[in-house]
Amino acid sequence: MDQSTIVLLLLPILLIQIGLMIFTLIDLIKNPNPNGPKWMWAVLIVVVNIIGPILYLVIGRRNY
Amino acid sequence: MTILEVQNLTKRYGEQLAVSNLSFALEEGTATALIGPNGAGKTTALSMLAGLLRETSGSIKWNRESGVGFLPQHPHFFPWMTALEFMEMAAKLSGVDSKKALAQSKKTLEFVGLGSVQNKKTGTFSGGMKQRLGLAQAIVHEPKLLLLDEPVSALDPTGRREVMDLLKSLQPDTTILYSTHILNDAEQMTDQLLFMQQGKLVEQGSLAEVKERYAEPCIRIRFQTADQASAFAGFVSLPASLNGSTLELATRGDGGTAMKTVLAKLAENAEGVVGVEQKTVSLEEIFIKVAGGR
Amino acid sequence: MNQFGILFHKEWRENLRNYKIFWIPIVFILFGILEPVTNYFLPQLLDSLGNLPDGAVIELPVPKPEEILQAVIGQYQLIGMAILILAYMGTIAGERRSGTATLLYVRPLSFRDYFLSKWLMASITGIVSVWLGLLAAYYYTFLLFNQVEIIPFLQFAGTYSIWILVVVTIVLAASAAMPNAGLAAAVSLALVFFMQIVDSLVGAYWTFSPMKIPVYAVQWLNGEPDLSDYWWTLGIAFAFILALLFFGTGMAKKKASTAKV
Repeated sequence: MDQSTIVLLLLPILLIQIGLMIFTLIDLIKNPNPNGPKWMWAVLIVVVNIIGPILYLVIGRRNY
Repeated sequence: MTILEVQNLTKRYGEQLAVSNLSFALEEGTATALIGPNGAGKTTALSMLAGLLRETSGSIKWNRESGVGFLPQHPHFFPWMTALEFMEMAAKLSGVDSKKALAQSKKTLEFVGLGSVQNKKTGTFSGGMKQRLGLAQAIVHEPKLLLLDEPVSALDPTGRREVMDLLKSLQPDTTILYSTHILNDAEQMTDQLLFMQQGKLVEQGSLAEVKERYAEPCIRIRFQTADQASAFAGFVSLPASLNGSTLELATRGDGGTAMKTVLAKLAENAEGVVGVEQKTVSLEEIFIKVAGGR
Repeated sequence: MNQFGILFHKEWRENLRNYKIFWIPIVFILFGILEPVTNYFLPQLLDSLGNLPDGAVIELPVPKPEEILQAVIGQYQLIGMAILILAYMGTIAGERRSGTATLLYVRPLSFRDYFLSKWLMASITGIVSVWLGLLAAYYYTFLLFNQVEIIPFLQFAGTYSIWILVVVTIVLAASAAMPNAGLAAAVSLALVFFMQIVDSLVGAYWTFSPMKIPVYAVQWLNGEPDLSDYWWTLGIAFAFILALLFFGTGMAKKKASTAKV
């Protein structure tokens, strides 16, 4: 398999991870009342790959 | 016609009696104010009537088909829903025909003054707006009975007046039972007063009846000086009490004839009189008396 | 409109606006892709990371494509289930606690429709996520390794979907029965994971249990499970789901008075 095909295959993974991070950060910034300090969530979202954004979405976001 | 009859309604939490042997009836088309200090059991009683809480004992008799609207003290809305979306869902769940639900929702939002923000998410609403939306969701299905828990307490004086006027305009088609601790509001709209304290109904009746029960009828005459007041006290045979330059004459309920006599005496000895009035008792004074007396 | 339609519309809207209908499938797709990709690059990765003496060659057996899909299920069984449970733990308990449920409960509400509308929404999200994730895994496995036969794959994914229904039903019933979202999640996680461990330890004594569905799902990839055991398991799973639906509806109704007024 040549180099460019491999890059194309890896691209979706990168896009999903970065997309999820940016989307979650925007939601955090706009959230008037997150469950916990904003800076903590921001750090978690950026530092902890995939799990950080997921934790924010299920716990930090206050869905109810 | 009686629309709701409550007998010996009781709610017990462990050893604590939140509501104890509450009995009363609501006549169709009337407004009833449920008053009492904080923690008297007003919210618990209303929650049982609304069907949110199950009573420990006692009975609530009313025709459920005629519909009920309930406004909790602090209504909570799904913050991601717009006011109109919420109203439409509430209307449909309350049995409004789905073709009419949207129109009915818009009309009701206009009625409570939220027409211009109907497409805003309720998460952005202020406390006053939520209170109005709470009222709107309670009346959207045009219920015969309306239960309101402190409907105006969260509002500023202007908002209070507006909402009380809205409520009055619902009558006499709607029977209203509302709790409040703002006695001015209770005096504005009430055919019946229910006074709760420590879970018990301690006083009930029409505003006039209750007032008469607690009135200590007297005629109050204000003079320029205390000397003039005490001088005049000698001219009348009624029991008098002096408070500075103000003279109070107890009339033992025969206010009409007593007033005539007093005015006749005053005509002869009017020196220094500033004002004469038949003293009435306010709901606030009754409240303090009832709350303090037990 | 009947109450189920009204309430389902509300759930649908809610899941659109809190983005669950988007991010949950995306996360499942991500984990579906990651497994074949990491397996593909594993030899190179070990090569560059390992401080092996020059000239040493790592000989890793090339995994069979079926093994890759099996490993994806392994990921889903841990992270996937945890996500579904955490995402839906507050469906009912959260509504009661925040007080938003009060204005629903004060109406002549059908608690059956109330519970089922939430259950259907969570089931749709769960099943769509798993299918999109497994299809992504299937495609990547095909590109990087080899093709898995399509019929066994469908049997595999279809069987695993029933496991998703079991998990979703457990979360929803727990959310109806527990006083808050955290406890609902704890009970669900304990049930799902603890029961699987118990089943794998002493489950040799019985061959049909809902906890064995993931095992049977994977068996479709390498032949077929014992069909008698398989159908019995599915039958018991459906009975279990049905019982939990009744239980959940009952608890939603019974606990309605605990909603914040």
